[in-house]
Amino acid sequence: MSGMGGGVILIPALTLLGVDIKHAIAISILSVIATSSGSASAYVRDHITNLKVGMFLEMFTIVGALVGARITLASSPRPLYIIFGLVLLGSWIALLMGKHSALVEVKKQDAFTRWLELEGSYPDQALGETISYKARLAHLGAPAMFGAGIIAGLLGIGAGAVKVLIHDLVMGLPPKVSTTTSNLIIGVTALAGTSVYLAAGLINPGLAVPVILGVVTGAFIGTRVLVRLTNKAVRIFFLVILLILAVQMLARGLRGI
Amino acid sequence: MVESKTPAQVEAVRETRQFEMDTLVGYILQDGVLLSLGLIIAGLFWRWFRTGTLTVDYQITGMNLFEFVTAEVRLAVHGAVEPRLLINLGIAVLMFTPFIRVAASVVYFFAVLKNWKYTLFTSVVLIVLTYSLFLR
Repeated sequence: MSGMGGGVILIPALTLLGVDIKHAIAISILSVIATSSGSASAYVRDHITNLKVGMFLEMFTIVGALVGARITLASSPRPLYIIFGLVLLGSWIALLMGKHSALVEVKKQDAFTRWLELEGSYPDQALGETISYKARLAHLGAPAMFGAGIIAGLLGIGAGAVKVLIHDLVMGLPPKVSTTTSNLIIGVTALAGTSVYLAAGLINPGLAVPVILGVVTGAFIGTRVLVRLTNKAVRIFFLVILLILAVQMLARGLRGI
Repeated sequence: MVESKTPAQVEAVRETRQFEMDTLVGYILQDGVLLSLGLIIAGLFWRWFRTGTLTVDYQITGMNLFEFVTAEVRLAVHGAVEPRLLINLGIAVLMFTPFIRVAASVVYFFAVLKNWKYTLFTSVVLIVLTYSLFLR
């Protein structure tokens, strides 16, 4: 409903219910596969997602996710609470500041991005026309996406906001292509992270089943509730929730849980 | 007589095939998630009919996805067909969904689009994912 992945809300909520943070991270990243694949399926069929951009960047995000998940396994809970609190605080600041400035169209591609064939077009239903675009700076986007993968694997979230920022600001993709391609990448990235947590014995079906069904139902209802609410109401609601969760996670990390 | 295609016709064919790939990938993701949810819900209902509770109370000890699926199938073959089989298969199908999407992309880039660059990129993704699914 908010455009954020459910993980940033789900993990603090699970820890408040007494679930160990590593189990909460593992279950969250498994549920991310369901929500991202479900929404990505529609966007890909509508030809908005750029599969080539997705496939190229996935090479970096999945390795990042494997590294991130390994760090979580080796870490004690306190740093995880603190990092999670900081990510929530970052999301809160991003939401408070609103959307970044409009995209600057890429007129001239660099040679590497052109070699990667990172361009395309998509049907814009609102404008009633097909929009053509070119990406840029793939050599900077790739390592940045490795970083986004680390965050996703480390904290069990989609890290969609970070991926969208990289697509928009670094690679110059149009917002619709940026968000839908991010959705596609999130599913594969989450799978890499989930594999590490499954092997570590952190996927508990007793917890996974209600969470998967809950987040899918929540996403389904959320999209329907969203159209009845004003943008302002949604923004205020999530500003309050994010701030409470950020303070709570930071406090638990700093106090020693 | 062999008719040669104009660059515009070649581009139109390429675009059509790209659109077909989008459709294929979209349906793999959609059907994978729906099948997974269907199996989990069916497993829960089965459990409810059998035990009167919806609570799932078992652990998966550390194993990779292939061991996880093999263990369940082995139990089923030996006659131990229980609700947890459907629930675990639902979780496995969910995890295999993005994996199959990548595998289908490798095949499509290789066999249909004949794009060697992206055949290589998607193969790298598939190899790393396969490695991660074999982790112990």
